[in-house]
Amino acid sequence: MVAAVEPAGPRPRPVTPARVGLYAFLVITALFFLTPLYVMLVTSFKTMPEIRQGNLLGLPAEPSLQAWGHAWSAACTGLACNGISVGFFNSVKILVPSVIVSIAVGSLTGYALSFWRVRGASALFGALMIVAFVPYQIFIYPLVRIFATIGINNSIPGIVAIHTIFGLPTMTLLFRNYFASLPIELFKAARVDGAGFFRIYSSVMMPMATPMLIVAVILQVTGIWNDFILGLVFAGRENLPMTVQLNNIVNSTQGERLYNVDMAATLLTALVPLVVYFASGRWFVRGIAAGAVKG
Amino acid sequence: MKHSASVLALAMGLGWSGMAVAQEMKAEVIHWWTSGGESAAVKVFADQFQKAGGTWVDTAIAGGANARTAAINRTVGGTPPAMMQFNTGKQFDELVENGLLNDVEAVAAEQKWKDKIPPAILAATVRNGKMYAVPVNIHGQNWLFYNTDVLAKVGAQEPKSFDDLFPILDKVKAAGLIPLAFSGQKTWERNLFNAVMLGQGGAKLWLSVYGDKDPAAVKSAEFKNVAETYAKLRNYVDAGAPGRNWNDATALVIQGKAGFQIMGDWAKGEFIAAGKTAGKEYGCVVLSKAGGGYAMGGDVFAFPKTKDANTLKAQAVLEKVLLDPTTQIEFNNKKGSIPVRLDVDTSSMDVCAQKGAKMVADKNQQAPAQELLTPPAVTGAVEDVISSFWNTPGQSVETFQDKFAAALKSI
Amino acid sequence: MLALRPRLASKLSAWLALSPATTILVVVYVGCTAWTVWISMTASRMLPSSTFVGLRQYDALFANERWQISVSNLVVFGVLFMIASLVLGFLLAVAIDQRVRAENVLRSVFLYPFSMSFIVTGLVWQWLLNPTYGIQAVGRGFGFETFRFDWIVRQETVIYCLVIAGVWHAAGLVMAIMLAGLRGIDEDIWKAARVDGLPPWRVYVSIVIPMMGASFATAAVLLATSVVRLYDLSVAMTNGGPGIASEVPAKFVMDHLFERQNIGLATAAATSMLITVAAVVAPWIYIQSRRRRAA
Repeated sequence: MVAAVEPAGPRPRPVTPARVGLYAFLVITALFFLTPLYVMLVTSFKTMPEIRQGNLLGLPAEPSLQAWGHAWSAACTGLACNGISVGFFNSVKILVPSVIVSIAVGSLTGYALSFWRVRGASALFGALMIVAFVPYQIFIYPLVRIFATIGINNSIPGIVAIHTIFGLPTMTLLFRNYFASLPIELFKAARVDGAGFFRIYSSVMMPMATPMLIVAVILQVTGIWNDFILGLVFAGRENLPMTVQLNNIVNSTQGERLYNVDMAATLLTALVPLVVYFASGRWFVRGIAAGAVKG
Repeated sequence: MKHSASVLALAMGLGWSGMAVAQEMKAEVIHWWTSGGESAAVKVFADQFQKAGGTWVDTAIAGGANARTAAINRTVGGTPPAMMQFNTGKQFDELVENGLLNDVEAVAAEQKWKDKIPPAILAATVRNGKMYAVPVNIHGQNWLFYNTDVLAKVGAQEPKSFDDLFPILDKVKAAGLIPLAFSGQKTWERNLFNAVMLGQGGAKLWLSVYGDKDPAAVKSAEFKNVAETYAKLRNYVDAGAPGRNWNDATALVIQGKAGFQIMGDWAKGEFIAAGKTAGKEYGCVVLSKAGGGYAMGGDVFAFPKTKDANTLKAQAVLEKVLLDPTTQIEFNNKKGSIPVRLDVDTSSMDVCAQKGAKMVADKNQQAPAQELLTPPAVTGAVEDVISSFWNTPGQSVETFQDKFAAALKSI
Repeated sequence: MLALRPRLASKLSAWLALSPATTILVVVYVGCTAWTVWISMTASRMLPSSTFVGLRQYDALFANERWQISVSNLVVFGVLFMIASLVLGFLLAVAIDQRVRAENVLRSVFLYPFSMSFIVTGLVWQWLLNPTYGIQAVGRGFGFETFRFDWIVRQETVIYCLVIAGVWHAAGLVMAIMLAGLRGIDEDIWKAARVDGLPPWRVYVSIVIPMMGASFATAAVLLATSVVRLYDLSVAMTNGGPGIASEVPAKFVMDHLFERQNIGLATAAATSMLITVAAVVAPWIYIQSRRRRAA
């Protein structure tokens, strides 16, 4: 199950037309992928009069970091004008427990569904697959009522529960498929040694699941960090995530718009997931190679 | 460990709200004013409330729908803010019906608001004979802004009606500029249509269409004329208009790339930010033909029901603060709107605001904005119909009229 | 599946482990769905009411032009987006698999858009595609006076713009999945093909692609979930315009749920989506589980 991460394609020959074509394809596509990031970057370094001139791709005439500083610590997001930095730690506060709990529940469910024959397991799994397709927005209103009744509305536990609920289908799918790809002998051996359900999970299966764990962490970190509407409705005003401040800067209906600040704020907010991706691209592919495609 | 951490977080959350109760007159306010100018405006309220001994706890969420979603969910979930923003109109109808709002009758009677607020705005806050919200401003939604240089260049005077406007638009087009700076998003497509309806059809047609929802009015010749005028405006916008933000359209006028824009008075914020003065670099006028009207919208604050004595006290103080005459001038200067009280002196405001105040004072010019007359579901359905008409040049005016009448009746 | 007879303690543990997932499924997903279906048969506007109106909301829904356009848009978008993402993702994976230089950089470049939220994606692409200052303006700036790329402002073509942005966002993920699949393929196949003198493209078409069924399936499922949930992209990029030409079902639901205070109609739309999804996904899952049991 340790996947080969070395290239498996045919060996290259010296410069041939095909090789040139290959690089041309890659370079052009890479440009297509990078253009939006480039536009965001140069815009964030421009001044507003220059942006109003409308040369989208041009380099800034007088590059300035002013928009970045403004976005981080001075842009107005309501009565206070402290930029988006305010929400950063709230986002972290939501992110860490949400990622841990949702992966814990998802992996445990996936494990129970793959190795243990429990009555109704396939029905449970099938139902989870269906709800993976449902736009979660339609559940917001009834969930508010449920959460208010049990008293975890507007709190960190509330928002963690929400991210666990909506992360459950994907996390279960990933871990179930991964565990299903592991050799059954591992499991049988642990059983012969007398290990029980949770013992096998914690000391045999999870240590083997590192590649999948990385994929799960990447997916959940991006998803939860980028979330706006759930944090807004369920986290409570003391814990509003960074995306709420970003929205306050970018999305004002009747107020004036500063595009350089918008872009700087957007990039600052996207920094955490961007770093995660650029730093872990290799692990991501390895993790997927290790299991997600089987099953 | 994880468990104890969340218990701790929960306990901290409870402790926090416990503190809130212990402190005097703490009021959380949910609103959607988040940009620089809006922020300065809302600060006027916050400062005044602070002066009156209160503590303003600010919860700003951009986008009216986002803020209202949060506020309504909080109210239904049993943890309402002390005060929440709505647009003047029907957005809070059901909160009243379900008994989730406090009325503001006591303060209204004490301050004699009912004599001082224009009737259309007042009516929009009254349900079952009681006032349930405090209006704080009047936004005129149907202003025509123009670049004075562009007008001078083509040798034209300020138009008074749409009939005056078209020849000027032709001249601007001939001069190689964009005649009408437009932002092709649904809201603004509807806003433009409404401006045409008031300007061409007058307040009478306006009220029978949106007020009485009379299908005969929609099928009338006057309405047909409005639709044709609206359709004609398509020829004067540029190719980049669809999807454009309203403020980018304003920027075109500011830079002299376009001649005109029809927009609400909040557009003044963009002119001010670019260092322009009303009456100098840019002008403003409300087009009308035989008794048109000033489309009055705006914002109100509503006060969710609470049993907490401190919050009740805070609500009463807030109500008074919002409509204090000096606060009104200061707030509205920053917001770009005009005061909601007719008895305040507006001579210190800019020329557009003064023009607006004059119209608001004239009973014949007061036209309630669409949001004051139709509930959000109908406003939305009408918006879809208008937007689809604007973007489908092949659609006949008769089809549009049929769809429009159906949308007014929807549900 | 595995045929093991767990002892009672382990069986209880398995039940315990599955209880969070079961609770979530029953209370949240089933409960909220039942609520949604019930509300769709009432005259609810902003808050739920219990005035029963039968199927009147559904009559209104199916007669609604915007809903009809939303549904047909989703079909067009879904088909094009899935085909384009799968093809581009596969081609990128194959290209990267040819022992190219700077593989890590390229992989990160193709993968980073997936870390961006749809809101950001939509915002940036809206700029790039706008004819007055985007790609068209740049093309004309280079002297191609008649260069025309104004899809986003035309009703007939705007949906393709959503496809472009969607592919930009998702193709990297498909690439990662495909790359993992390619590297799971046995080296010997390439050796054997070389011995037989088969040209590489023949090997890909007739041997490699058929072997990568699981990779294609995983990618297709992930893409399909984002198709049904398509919402933020349409909001940020076109807000459904020009006119109502790029409206999508999830946006219809959201707009009517909140902005338009018409939850009766919104839940009718949501219920219709749910039924459609279930009708497509349930048989597929059933077949899958049958096949697995047979295997």
